[in-house]
Order: sequence, then structure tokens, then C-alpha cells
Amino acid sequence: MNDHRSVSIVMIEDDEGHARLIEKNIRRAGILNDIKHFTDGTTALDFMFNHKDGPALNGPALILLDLNLPDMSGTDILAKIKGDGPLKRTPVVVLTTTDDKVEIQRCYDLGCNVYITKPVNYESFAQAIRQLGLFLSVIQVPEIEGEG
Amino acid sequence: MFERLVTRIGGSSRTVSRWLIVCMVIGFASLVLAGLSAAWLTARTQDHTSWINHTYEVELAIARANTLVEQAETTRRGYVISGQPNYLEIYRAAAAKLPGALTRIEHLTGDNPTQQASLRKMRVLIDALQGRRDRTNALVSAGRLDEARRVFVRDTDARQMPAIRALSDAMAREEERLLALRDTEQRSSVQAFYATLALAGVLLLIVAIISVGTILRYMRDLAASRDTLRDFADSLEELVKERTADLSRANEEIQRFAYIVSHDLRSPLVNVMGFTAELEAATIAITGLIDRAEETAPDIVSEEARLAAREDLPEAIGFIRTSTQKMDRLINAILKLSREGRRVIAPELLDVEDMVSGVGESLQHMINDRNAQLIVEKPLPGIVSDRLAIEQILSNLIENAVKYLQPGRPGLITVRGSRDGARISYEIEDNGRGIEPRDHQRVFDLFRRSGNQDQPGEGIGLAHVRALAYRLGGMIDVRSELGKGATFRLSLPTSLADAATN
Repeated sequence: MNDHRSVSIVMIEDDEGHARLIEKNIRRAGILNDIKHFTDGTTALDFMFNHKDGPALNGPALILLDLNLPDMSGTDILAKIKGDGPLKRTPVVVLTTTDDKVEIQRCYDLGCNVYITKPVNYESFAQAIRQLGLFLSVIQVPEIEGEG
Repeated sequence: MFERLVTRIGGSSRTVSRWLIVCMVIGFASLVLAGLSAAWLTARTQDHTSWINHTYEVELAIARANTLVEQAETTRRGYVISGQPNYLEIYRAAAAKLPGALTRIEHLTGDNPTQQASLRKMRVLIDALQGRRDRTNALVSAGRLDEARRVFVRDTDARQMPAIRALSDAMAREEERLLALRDTEQRSSVQAFYATLALAGVLLLIVAIISVGTILRYMRDLAASRDTLRDFADSLEELVKERTADLSRANEEIQRFAYIVSHDLRSPLVNVMGFTAELEAATIAITGLIDRAEETAPDIVSEEARLAAREDLPEAIGFIRTSTQKMDRLINAILKLSREGRRVIAPELLDVEDMVSGVGESLQHMINDRNAQLIVEKPLPGIVSDRLAIEQILSNLIENAVKYLQPGRPGLITVRGSRDGARISYEIEDNGRGIEPRDHQRVFDLFRRSGNQDQPGEGIGLAHVRALAYRLGGMIDVRSELGKGATFRLSLPTSLADAATN
């Protein structure tokens, strides 16, 4: 990534267990970036768009999004992020249990960058996260609009 | 409600036919009556006519006798007055005919005592008159004209002619009386006839009115019943549509439920598996420590700790792992079934022979490995149905046949099909290990299996096949004997599109 520390990872995942597993494996892949974890859409959106430390106002980010959120549908959040706004170029990785073709298509239509189904098989899961980590370590995240 | 309607119609038709029969009987009876009356009247009229004729004949005879008597009288008078012999001849001619005429009257009025009495009186008078006439004629013939005239005047005084005329009038009047009587009788019988005709007419009219009325009412009833039936049929259709809609909704509900459940069950499963793997990793670290501790400081390693690290932890983790894996497979199976239920069915014309060959090819490896043989009895009837579903069913059934062979017997799997009107059935027969009769229904249940559990599987295949068969409007069943083999029969409508619209 651009600068190992500057890109923050925003993880929107309501299941604590999943969040922990994801975090563990990202760290195992050698990613040391800041990971912010949110368990519902409202607080996540608020942080992303309004908080002074959030990606809208403070540096690039990468978003890991689960679609099964308690207070709103993940696709709504995706639409908000990818709609016209400061975060529309932010890479979004949809990481969810659903493997429904219609859902996948919809997410891509809304502009997500990657769609990954969480496999139940843990080995595959862990590997996928690790590879995501490696992926994260080599991708370039675009600068936020309006930044100096 | 239908039953009541049918009974009412049936009942009223019976009543109607009874009424109609009664009316027709009355109608015919009236006609017969009218006919008989006409016949009777004709006879009576003939009778009357003959009697009237008779009366006229009698009158005629009386008149003739009268004429003869008068003729005799006038000719005698002429003879007496003129003395000419031709008067005598005519008189003699008339006098000769008179007995005959009187006899005729006697003959004709044989049944009438009044007339007979009158006739006898007349005869007496005529005989007396005849005597006198003969005498006067003789006198005239003898030339004694004056004497003859004197006798003649005396005869006239004796008033026999008037008496005879009076009698003859009386007889004529008697006949006239009889005539009037018979006339009246005739008129009354004619009236009787008309009365009977009128009665018959009225009866027929009543019968007609009743018949027409009954028929009209029956037809109105029928029309009303038909309308009611139509309403029933309409409401029945509405009901069926409602129920079908209800059923589809219920079905959709179940599909959604299965889908949601599987997904929501997957989420915690990810956690269980994930953290079990973490546990495993952690166990390795601990085991490593125990190993090193055993080497360097064995006294701090308690038996409990060693067992825990070496046996308990790995065993527990092992069981958790296999169970979660199994749960994963089961959830996937449910998800697949529910997805199948939601998929849109696309009927098309299928070449089933082709599809079976395709399945055979894809299973070729397995078939060869297990020393089995797949035979297709051609021709297999084609069908209009969903391609994917039929493929899945055939594939599953044939694969099962190859999987569940009888050890020691080379497997022979036969596929055949037949068409029976609007339904087609395909049979997949094998000579494998067979299924016990009490498990014939069980094998189609989800997650249930039967017999020797030496083949991998979850008990999903046949449940899936049955669900698919139902969705295609068909059925599946099995005939089997343990140890002899099994025949699975799939019965489907010939055309799914038609079945759907029906």
C-alpha cells in the first residue's frame, strides 16, 4: 500500500467472532495497518463520513464490508459509499456469507471492487484473508478527493 | 350442496314425468270418450233417420191409401153421376189397390198399437163403404141410376167418408207426433254428443294446460338449477384459484425460510470452525511446551496436563471439527434444495435418450471402476419438461444404482421408458443390494439412509430427486427386494406446459 501506516482499514462486521478471525489473519499476513471495527452500519457511516479521523476527512482507507448488518442492508452502505461523495473511490471488499448470484451481481453493479464469500471451511477462510492481506499490501489505494 | 341440488332436480323430474303420464292418460281417455260418443251418436242418428224415414213412409202410405179412397169416391161419384163405364174401371182399379195399401200401412205400423187400432177402424169403415159403393155401382151398371143416386146421398149422410178422413188424419197426426218425438230425441242425442265433445274438449284443455304448466315449471326449475350450478362452478374456480395462490405463497414461504435458516446457521458455523482451528493452533503451542517441559523438567508436568495436551485437546477438537463439517454439508444440502425450489422451471422438448447417454458418460469412470454396466432400452420417449431438473434426477438415480451394488455381483443397470397417454414413466432398474420394504419411504426423506452404510453420502440425493419430481408435476417410487436390486420409477406428465395450464 501507499504508505503502510496511512491507509486505515475499516471493517464493518456485526459478528464479533468473524471480526476477530479476520483481524487475526490479516495480522498473520503481515499487515500492520490500523483496523477500525464497527458492528453496525449507522456508526460505521458516521465515522467514515463525519469523524475527524475517518477516511472522508483523514487519509485513504480500505473498507471490508459484511452484508448481514443488523440496522441496515450492506448494499445500502455500499451504495452510500460508492455514490457521489468523498469516498466513492475507496476500495470496498465485500466479505460475506451469502453466495447468492443475484446479490453478487448487485454488489458489483453498485460498484464494489471485490466480492468474497466467507467459506465455512476455516482453512480456506484463513487463507482467503491472508491472501487479502497480501493483496492489500500490494494495491494502491487512491487518494481521497480534496486532499492536499 | 351439490348433492341437494342433484336430488332436487332428480326428484322434480320424477314428479314431472308422473304428472305428464297422468295427464296423457286423461288426455287419451278423453279422446277415447269423444270417439265413443261420436260412434254412439252416429248410430243413434242412423237409427233416428231410419225411424224418420219410416214415419215418412207411413205418412206416405196413409196418404196413398187416402188418395185411393178419395179416388174411389170421386170415380164412383162420377159413375153415379154420369153412368159412364170408364169411371167404373178406374174405380175398380183404385178399389183393387186399396187393400194392398191398407195392408202396407198395417205392415208399417205393426209396432204402433194406436195406429193399428185406427187402421182397424178405418178398415171396418172402408169395408162398409166398399159394400155400399159396390151396391151403388151395381145399381148404376144395371141402369137404375136414380136409385143409385138416392143410395149415394144416403151414403154421404152416413158420413163414412168424413169418418175415414178423420181416421186417416188422426193416423197422419199420430205419425207426425212420432216424428216430432223422434226429432226431439234426435236433437237431445245431438246435444248429448256436443256435451260429451265439450267435456272431452275441456278435459283435453285442462290436460294441456297442466302439461304445459308442469313442463314450463320444470324448465324454469332446470334453468334455475343450471344457474345455481354455474354459480357453484364459478365460486369453485375462485376457491381453487385462492387455494392455489395460498399454496404457492406457502411454498415460497418455506423456500425463503430454508434459505434464511441456512444462511443464519452458517454464520455461527464460521465462528465455530474458525476458532476451532485457532484452538488447534494453540494446542500445538501448548503441546510443544509440554514436550519441552517433559524433556527439561519432567516433574512439573502433571499426568493431567500431559493427557490434556496430548489426548483430550486433540480428541475434542477432532470431534468438533467433524461435526461442524457435517453441519456444513447438511446446511449446503438444505440451501441447494431451497434454491432448487425457487428456480424458474423452463419446459422444453428433451431427448431423454441423449441425456441418459450423457449421464452415462459422466459416470463412466465410476462405472468402470466398479465393474458395472449401463444399458439403455431404446427408444426412450421424449418429454417436455425442465432440462436441468431431469438431468439431476437421472444423474442421481443412475449414480445411486452404480454406488449401491451387491458385493460379488457385477452391476447391471437398465434404463427404460414408456408412454401411457398423458403420462410418461422412466424406470431405472439395478441388480444391486436392494432396499428393505419398510425403508421404501424412508430413503426419500432428507438426511435419511438405509441399509449398509459403506458408501459416502448424506442422505440428500433421493430427497432432492423427489422434490424435483414434485416440482415437475410427477412422482417417484421404488420397487425393491433386499438383496435382489431396486427399480426406481419416475412418472411425469408428457408435457409440463400443458400440466401447468391445466
